Amino acid sequence: MSGISRRKFLKSTVVAGGSAAAAMSSTKKAFAMKEFEGYPESMGVLVDLTRCIGCRTCEAACNKEHGLPEPALPFDDFSVFDQVFHEGKQKRRTTEKAYTVVNRYETKDQGAPVYRKLQCFHCSEPACLTSCFVNAYTKTKEGAVIYNADVCVGCRMCMVACPFSMPAYTYDSALHPQIIKCNFCYDSRLKNGKPPACVEACPQDALTFGHRKTLVKTAHERIKANPKKYVDHVYGETEVGGTSWMYLSSVPFDQVDFNTTLQHHPILDNTKSFLGIVPMVLGIWPAMFLGFHLLAKGGKGEKKDKESKNRVEVQGE
Amino acid sequence: MKSRKRWALKGTIVALCFLVAPAFGAGGEPPDSVRIDSLSHLYNGVDFDHELHVGVEEDCSVCHHHVFGNGVADKQCARCHSNSKGTTSVACRDCHVEDPFTVEYLTKMETDPNRYHVDITGLKGAYHLRCFTCHIEMEAPSECASCHERTDAGDRFYRSGKYAPTGGGTGGSHE
Repeated sequence: MSGISRRKFLKSTVVAGGSAAAAMSSTKKAFAMKEFEGYPESMGVLVDLTRCIGCRTCEAACNKEHGLPEPALPFDDFSVFDQVFHEGKQKRRTTEKAYTVVNRYETKDQGAPVYRKLQCFHCSEPACLTSCFVNAYTKTKEGAVIYNADVCVGCRMCMVACPFSMPAYTYDSALHPQIIKCNFCYDSRLKNGKPPACVEACPQDALTFGHRKTLVKTAHERIKANPKKYVDHVYGETEVGGTSWMYLSSVPFDQVDFNTTLQHHPILDNTKSFLGIVPMVLGIWPAMFLGFHLLAKGGKGEKKDKESKNRVEVQGE
Repeated sequence: MKSRKRWALKGTIVALCFLVAPAFGAGGEPPDSVRIDSLSHLYNGVDFDHELHVGVEEDCSVCHHHVFGNGVADKQCARCHSNSKGTTSVACRDCHVEDPFTVEYLTKMETDPNRYHVDITGLKGAYHLRCFTCHIEMEAPSECASCHERTDAGDRFYRSGKYAPTGGGTGGSHE
């Protein structure tokens, strides 16, 4: 400890820590300024639970559109609504064989059952996409969140990251396992300006397809026109920063298994400020400290070199 | 195959216009029966017994909004249409289009500044929302097949009847 005292060392550490914290908060501000509000031309679907009658036609249409495997029971078999899993705590979920499922809820607020269709919500800033380290996910300008099985390494981080537990995985495929989830019929329909197969098939117009921005207005208009019928909330308008698929309901959303505790800004925001300083720490710090080191060492080295040179010269004379 | 279907559909619509519109638009008697078959690939068409339903619900505006100029049933509509005159078109399909999600239709709805009604259900939705809601309320038959018989293509679509799953398959990792 000849060059630097203990006190000096501690002092400099505190200063460095403080400047790092200051840098972190300024990055947070910088990112907040560039907030992404979703693609302007993004399409979406408004699901009106007050219209759904649980006919499961959407499930059948999805199965046909994507050539999915044969279901365990026919699509007109309504006994599936009685199925429960995990000791009765959970109703049907999307699986590797079904991009979408409809569940039935007997609610205390309403005599008649309420049906809820479930599929990928196609978030404006998807957590699955940001969690994927091989960029297997893409948010298209049309609003779809699509997945590329060719680059997927099967880490299943997206399944953990998704706030709606939508992605499923083909665990039974030994050679080519992949993530299975609703793709908004992107390849076969959406990119050609057509609505998804389930929307087209719905007999009750419980699913309304259109520009997301317009659908938000439509949803609020429906609530305004019928305030007694609807809960005054459009699920998906702001949840996790907004989703392309949004819901209207006549019963409180938590009664039909919606997660009402989700944050109202993108999940990415939780890590953005931290991740923002990682390149700085990993990229700039090593170069900077190497520079300091070389400067400090280089000065001494030169002095020594000069001295030895002089000595050589003296000897030479 | 698709274009043949489309032509068949167009033919049906044209035929219906001839059948319904002149008799009605010109202030004639309402039809006794209306054939509804725009969904006829999964289900057979419906011969809607108009006369029977007129007997059940005497207020035309319950189904036909304000098109006859004799008041409206819906309070929300009454805010503007309580004194509206009758319109020349009265059939559902005159306002509720068969395909409400085409780019052209969505653009038309979004860009016309003078348009108030932008959230109009499609024809299929209009039929089902009206018919089904009322059938439930009145405890009338409400199974799909009570109104229209399913076709073979429909059985295949729903994987039902002779196309029912043969077993062995599971519903996925959660079943």
